Amino acid sequence: MNRDEDTLNNNPLHSTFKETMPKTLTRREFLKIAAGATAASGLAPAVRSIVIEPFVQPPEEVLPGQATWYASTCRQCPAGCGIIVRTINGRAKKIEGNPLHPLNRGKLCARGQAGLQVLYNPDRLKNAVRQSGGRGSRQFEPLYWPEALDLLSDKIAALSNAERIAFLGGLMPSHIYRLATRLFETLGAAPPVIYDLQSALEGRSAASQLSQAFFGAPDLPVYDISQSDVVLSFGANLLETWMSPVAQSAAYGAMRQGGMGSRGLFVQFEPRLSATAASADEWIPVRPGAEGFVALAIGRIIVEERLGHVGSHRTQAVLYQNVDVREMAAASDVPIETLHRLARAFADADRAVAIPGGYLAGQRNGFSSMLAVQALNLVVAQVGREGGVFLSNPGPTAALRQNLPVNAFDEVIDLIVRMKAGEIDLLLVHGANPMYELPAAAGFAEAIARVPFVVSFSPFVDETAVWADLILPDHTYLESWGYQVPSPGADRPVVSSQQPVVRPLYDTLAAADVLLGLAARLGGKPAEALPWEDEASYLEETVGELHGSSLGAYDARTPSGFWALWRQYGGWWSEKKIRREPELTEVVQTPLPISDPQFEGDPEDYPFHLYPYSSIILSDGRGANLPWLQEAPDPMTTVQWGMWVELNPKTASALGVSDNDIVQVESPYGMLEAPVVIYPGIRPDVVAIPVGQGHQDYGRFAQAVNGSNPLVLVAPVTDPGTGALAWGATRVRLKPTGRKQILARLESLDGNGRESLG
Amino acid sequence: MATDANLSVENDRRWVLVVDLDRCTGCQACVVACHAENNIPVVGEKQAAYGRWMHWIIIQRYWEGEYPNVKARFMPVMCQQCTEAPCEPVCPVFATYHNAEGLNAQIYNRCIGTRFCGSACPYKARIYNWFQPEFPEPLTEQLNPDVTVRTRGIMEKCTFCVQRIRRAEIDSQAEGRILADGEIQPACVQTCPTSALVFGDLGDPDSRASQLARSHRSFRLLLELGTGPGVIYLKGGETNV
Repeated sequence: MNRDEDTLNNNPLHSTFKETMPKTLTRREFLKIAAGATAASGLAPAVRSIVIEPFVQPPEEVLPGQATWYASTCRQCPAGCGIIVRTINGRAKKIEGNPLHPLNRGKLCARGQAGLQVLYNPDRLKNAVRQSGGRGSRQFEPLYWPEALDLLSDKIAALSNAERIAFLGGLMPSHIYRLATRLFETLGAAPPVIYDLQSALEGRSAASQLSQAFFGAPDLPVYDISQSDVVLSFGANLLETWMSPVAQSAAYGAMRQGGMGSRGLFVQFEPRLSATAASADEWIPVRPGAEGFVALAIGRIIVEERLGHVGSHRTQAVLYQNVDVREMAAASDVPIETLHRLARAFADADRAVAIPGGYLAGQRNGFSSMLAVQALNLVVAQVGREGGVFLSNPGPTAALRQNLPVNAFDEVIDLIVRMKAGEIDLLLVHGANPMYELPAAAGFAEAIARVPFVVSFSPFVDETAVWADLILPDHTYLESWGYQVPSPGADRPVVSSQQPVVRPLYDTLAAADVLLGLAARLGGKPAEALPWEDEASYLEETVGELHGSSLGAYDARTPSGFWALWRQYGGWWSEKKIRREPELTEVVQTPLPISDPQFEGDPEDYPFHLYPYSSIILSDGRGANLPWLQEAPDPMTTVQWGMWVELNPKTASALGVSDNDIVQVESPYGMLEAPVVIYPGIRPDVVAIPVGQGHQDYGRFAQAVNGSNPLVLVAPVTDPGTGALAWGATRVRLKPTGRKQILARLESLDGNGRESLG
Repeated sequence: MATDANLSVENDRRWVLVVDLDRCTGCQACVVACHAENNIPVVGEKQAAYGRWMHWIIIQRYWEGEYPNVKARFMPVMCQQCTEAPCEPVCPVFATYHNAEGLNAQIYNRCIGTRFCGSACPYKARIYNWFQPEFPEPLTEQLNPDVTVRTRGIMEKCTFCVQRIRRAEIDSQAEGRILADGEIQPACVQTCPTSALVFGDLGDPDSRASQLARSHRSFRLLLELGTGPGVIYLKGGETNV
């Protein structure tokens, strides 16, 4: 028996074969077999496939019990880190960093980890609502979406003048900004005003202006911490909330133990020892507002004594011609010996970098301080060098390059003035909570009352939404589309992609789709300018420009293939490292300005400097409605669910107060009360209060906390150099109240440990 | 079969966690990641003030010196997965036991809540469920289906994310390959922005964790008690500039 026969005999079809294979084949039999064979082999096109339908129908893409990961972009802060979300049975279960994303390389901060509680927050709005009992009544009546859009488009159409509409936004995904700008442009209205507390505290608009002045481009600098031997940080809380904390933390880890051989020197200059300063090798408690003086003195010493290995400093001598080191030392409270020591360390290092941070931008002399700090990088020739300063890569295509700019506080004040004057009839608010985030003294509450119709896009009833007539809740970020060019960026061009990882939980509508819907309803020019059917088609078109780029880490043969990979990987980035070297402008050929800080409040009446700082847990307060974040202890004070006033032990004992004693803090603009935390790492003339608590609205978890918003104290003054809010320029006084409020702290103050183990 | 050896109770794995204090910035990302991964409830301000918080990992902060020469240092502390764990012999119902991979494990449905183990633990790493956990709807959707939600009256603690260890072991076995170093990442390790945490097998001398454990900076907490901790700390350094 040969092999073929063997196969044939063992074949289950063998018997059939035998029957249909007679020894001799007649023509009739042949035809019969041929017909049968056609029926058997030609099955594919002829037969219908019928799927059995189960009684319970799971969503199509879901394999029961099997986890699927979707890539998207974190929106808990403006950094734009890549995330991957574990979904099981169509529900998001865990967020991790996207390991491929060049910015955060698989890492994520506490706020990013808590993102699920934005999605599953019990206090979300479930549909569009109108405030039926009038503004501030907190009585909401559900509204059918087409009706809500009709209502809003009627309001826009009824405007007597396009100048009477305004859009106030926070740092939103880029496509919403671009659609809003386009819509407003065709209406003939002013472009959106972008401002939120996070960007004010990190000094984003000032940093952009600094880049413009120094490097002739508005893109934010990227400080190459990981490759640096000496890092001088001037009020930049780069391991907490400033700019791109996850990327900066990763760089910090690499600087410490990344195999460079040395663990680097990291010096932090600021009046309060922040969590960032806790990781620094040295904390220098500079007098508030005098950080620039330290930088000027260090620069002067380097130039004068020809320190370092750069060679001649002759070209930079002009920068420091008016600087007197002795004066600077006295004004900044930093001993001359310390300045000399640090100048030497900074200049002698192979790679050194100086970072101008958010606290500098929050002073009335902020811009001159920031110039002085940035100039240090020039003095040691670290601009565009490893371990020095680079510029963020702008978007790789023309459309993606139109990133949203952050407006200075000045421009918000202009809007408030116009609102107060009754020049605004319709206000749209997206991604910002100005009622909470602006200094109370700026008068936004009064101004919003003068606006006849206010629309909020907030998914939560926050302090501003309470004063809206109409709330059109946007999806939360895990349900949303979008893209973002991270700024500051990574070491290469990156565009982060945001896509829904779950179906929207409720009857919410994407703000971008609201804008497109409005344009269609308005017809005419707006409809022509915004012709897209929905935001996804707009995104597909914009992102499609990247298809075929020679830089990309991946490419596809077809646009739809590219669109799929774009969503699969969570964005687009260059395969190779491409750093952008800044080009210097002529600002570096004139003497650096020396300007004294100015403070609101008479030093006699108000002896302390107020330092409202961004909380690493709650950032500017947007995390206050997430129980995971509220329960997470503040790293420095270990307080959970609370708000407090930090005092130097000497200040506290002079005042006769101790931990948990409530003090009254009063500025020329407002007053609040809060319990004391004795804090060894703060100047005796400074009072620090974390930002983020004290919500009147914003859900049960935010409102559960007994705390106040320090912005009631802050003077609405600006740095004339940038127009940025000088949030660190207010003076306060303290008064004990004799009452107590026990803060929940992880740390045991009496040394007895936890009750649960007692 | 060769791959079965990986899952056998007779393997010589010793899971350890290396904590590099020179990298840790106290940022709390691990704390929140742990809550999310392990279905740890939130107790609220009042109960937290009583010390009834339920973090499986905490970042202890220590002040040193006085103003202006003051320093703050961070130390993440979680269950140390001791070799000679003081919590094990005191349990009257054998709810806490030692597994073959060196993990100190807790059997929730055996636990009767005597809290003896919590008293015996020198690291105070064990957490007691004082209340029935509450997850206001729809926060129940955030729960990880791989991890039991514990009820009132039960002790719990860091498990080194045993559900992730098991999943990686089962996956590698199914694919017929050896588990690679670094393949298992507990939630805290995966998220840590500065890569201060490294997880691995001390039984494998080439694993990254083993290499770090041999560092001159390595030390263990309360080693003198003879607990044989499975968490290895690397000392944070001083700069000599």
